[in-house]
Amino acid sequence: MRRLYSSLVDGRGFDLCLIGIPLVFLIVLSGVPLVYNVVMSFQAVDMFSLGSFIRPWVGFDNYRQLISQPEFWPIMGHTATFLAASIAGQFLFGFALALLFWLNFPGASWLRGLFLVSWVMPGLVVGAVWNWLLSGDFGVFNFVLHQLHIISGNVFWRSDPAFALWSVIIANIWLGTSFNMIMLSVGLSSIPDDLYEAAELDGAGALTRFWTITLPMMRSSIGALISLGLIFTLQQFDLFAAITSGGPNNSSNVAQYWAWDLSFKQYDFAKGAAISVIMIVVVMLASVYYVRSTRHEVRG
Amino acid sequence: MKTSAILGAVLYAGAATLGMAAHAADPVTITIWCQDDERQPGLNLAKEFGEKNPDIKVVYRQIHFDDVTSEAMRAYSTGQAPDIIAIDNPEHALFASHGVFLDLTDRIAKSAVIHKEDYFPGPLASVTWDGKLYGVPKATNTIALYYNADMFKAKGLDPDKPPQTWDEMVDAARKLNDPAKNVYGIAFSAKASEEGTFQFLPWAQMTGGGYDKINTDGAVRALTIWKTLLDDKLASPDTLTRGQWDSTGTFNSGNAAMVISGPWELNRMSQEAKFDWRVTLMPVPEVGAPRSSAMGDFNWAIFKSSKHPDEAFKALEYFVSQDPRVFPVWGQLAARANVEIPATGDAKKDAAVKVFMEQLKYAQPRGPHPEWMKISKAIQDAIQAALTGQATPKDALDQAAATIKGILG
Repeated sequence: MRRLYSSLVDGRGFDLCLIGIPLVFLIVLSGVPLVYNVVMSFQAVDMFSLGSFIRPWVGFDNYRQLISQPEFWPIMGHTATFLAASIAGQFLFGFALALLFWLNFPGASWLRGLFLVSWVMPGLVVGAVWNWLLSGDFGVFNFVLHQLHIISGNVFWRSDPAFALWSVIIANIWLGTSFNMIMLSVGLSSIPDDLYEAAELDGAGALTRFWTITLPMMRSSIGALISLGLIFTLQQFDLFAAITSGGPNNSSNVAQYWAWDLSFKQYDFAKGAAISVIMIVVVMLASVYYVRSTRHEVRG
Repeated sequence: MKTSAILGAVLYAGAATLGMAAHAADPVTITIWCQDDERQPGLNLAKEFGEKNPDIKVVYRQIHFDDVTSEAMRAYSTGQAPDIIAIDNPEHALFASHGVFLDLTDRIAKSAVIHKEDYFPGPLASVTWDGKLYGVPKATNTIALYYNADMFKAKGLDPDKPPQTWDEMVDAARKLNDPAKNVYGIAFSAKASEEGTFQFLPWAQMTGGGYDKINTDGAVRALTIWKTLLDDKLASPDTLTRGQWDSTGTFNSGNAAMVISGPWELNRMSQEAKFDWRVTLMPVPEVGAPRSSAMGDFNWAIFKSSKHPDEAFKALEYFVSQDPRVFPVWGQLAARANVEIPATGDAKKDAAVKVFMEQLKYAQPRGPHPEWMKISKAIQDAIQAALTGQATPKDALDQAAATIKGILG
C-alpha cells in the first residue's frame, strides 16, 4: 500500500498518471467519436436510429453512392483548389509580412500585434464582413477595383461560378495570413544573428542570405505551419456558410461543407460521416508525410 | 471544424442517454421547444399558459431555427424529447411518418377549441399524414409580388394595374429596370437552400406541376423565365446566393422595383421603405390559369413519448384560442380563414395583409413527404444548374425529376 502510494507520488505510477490522464481524455473526447464516425459511415443511419450503435451494416454502399453522385469529383477538386490556394496565399503573405516586421522599424512590434485582430475574429463575423465586401452590386471590393480601372463592369464574386470559390479563398487568406505571420516571426527570431554577420563578412548578398540561411533554418517552422494550415483549411466552414453556402450550383462547395449539408440539411448522416472519413484519411496521409519529412531533421 | 461538430453531436447523443435516467420528471411538467423569442407568439403564449394553469409547470426552451430538426431528432432518439415542439412545416411529415408525433385526430374531433375545418387547406395538409392529423398549424405565410408604385408611375406603368401574368411581369421588369440608377426590375431568391425551392415551386404548381412532376412544360417555361430575368440583368446575379430577406432589403432601399416575398417583411418594410409600396397576387402563367403560392411557417406537434399528452393538448388548445391576437400583437398570420385581421392604422400594411390573406387560399405545402429535404435539394440543384448555364432548364428539370422519382420510389 505504502509502496503504491509512494510510486504514485514520485515514481513510475506518477509517470503513468501523467500519461494516462491525457490519454483517457483523448480517447474519450476524440477516439470514441472518431471510431463512431467511421462505424457510422458503414451503416444505414436515419435520424431515428442516431442514438443506437446497432444499425444495419451496408459495407461500402455509402461510399459507392457518394462517388457516383455527379457532384462528387467537382467538390473534391474544389477542396483541393481551396486547400492549395489558401495555404499558398496565407503562407506567402504571412512570410512577406513576417520578413517586413523582422526589419524592426519603429512601431513594428505593435503593428505586428495589431495584425492579429483578423485572426481572433470569429469566422462567421469575418464571413459576414466579406459577404458585404464581395457583394456584386454595392460591394466595396468591386468599387475599389473599379476606381483602379481594373474592372469595367461589376464582378459578382459570390454568384458567378467562375469566382465563387475564389471569393471564399480570398477571405480565407485574409483570415489566416496573420497567424502565419506570427508563427514565421517566431521562427525568424530564433535564427542566430551571428550566422548573418558571418555571411555578410563573406560577402553574401541579401538574396543569397535568404536562400542559404533563412529558408533552411526555417524548414521546421515552415513544415509545421503548412501542416497546421492544412488542418485549419480543412476545418474552414464558417466562411462557406456566410459567403456562398457552397453555391452557385456547387461551384464553391467543398468536402467539409458538403459533409455538413448532407448530415444536417438532408439528414443523410451516413454519407456525411463517409465524407468525414475520407477527409480523415487525407489528413492522416498528410501528417504521416510531415512526420517522415521532419524526422531526421536537426533542429536549430 | 465541422467534422468535429458532427463528432461532438454524436458524443452529445451518447452522453444524453446516460444522463437520461436522472431526469425523473415532475408529474405535470410540460416542456415546449420553439424558436420564438419574446417578440413572437410561442414564448409568450407558453408563459401565459403556465400562469393560467398553476398545476402545470411549463418549461420553455428556445431553439435556433437551423437547429430545430436536428435537436428534435437527437432528443427523440435518446428518449429526451420535449412534450410539444414547433416544427417547420415541410419537416412535419418526416416525424409524423415515423410515428414520432402523437396522432391528434380524435382529440381534435372532440375539441371545443380546435376545429379542423377552420384551417386553410395548405397548412392543414402539412400536419396531415396518411389521413390523420399529427399537429396543429401554428401560423402561416406565403409569397406574393411587392411593387414600388412610385417607380411604376415614373416609368409610365399604371400602379393600379400591376402585372397579372408571367409575361406582364417580365415586361414590367424590363421597363422598370434602370442600371444607370442602380435599379433592377425585380428581386427574388434562387438560393441553393429551402428558400430557392420555396420561391420556385409555386411557379411549377401554377402550370399543373409540382414536386412530383417538376419537369412539366410549364415548369420548364417558368425556369426559362427565371433564366431570362438573370441573363438580361433584370434581376441581380446575386439572386443566386441571396436569401429572401436580403433580396427584399434591396427593394426597400429602392434598388429593385419589384420583389417576390412574404408577409414577414411587412413590419420592416413599413419602417424602411420610403415610397408607395403595394402587394399583388403572384402572377399566373396566363389569364385564367389556376393560382398557387408557397406556404411557410411552423406547426405545433406533441411527441408520442410525452407522459402528459392531455396537458400538452390543453396547451395547444390555449395557443389556438389565442390565434386572434397573433397578427395584432406579433405580426404573424394565423393559419385560419375565420380569424379577423384588425386594421393596424398603417394603410399600406393593411392593404398588403388583405392581399396575403387572399393569396393564402392558394398556398400549397411543400410535400408533405418524409424525405422532403432530399426532394428539395434536387429542385435547388436544377434551379442553380439552369441559372448558371450548366444545363438547359429542360435538362436540369429532367435530371431533378429523375432524382425525385428515385426518392419517391
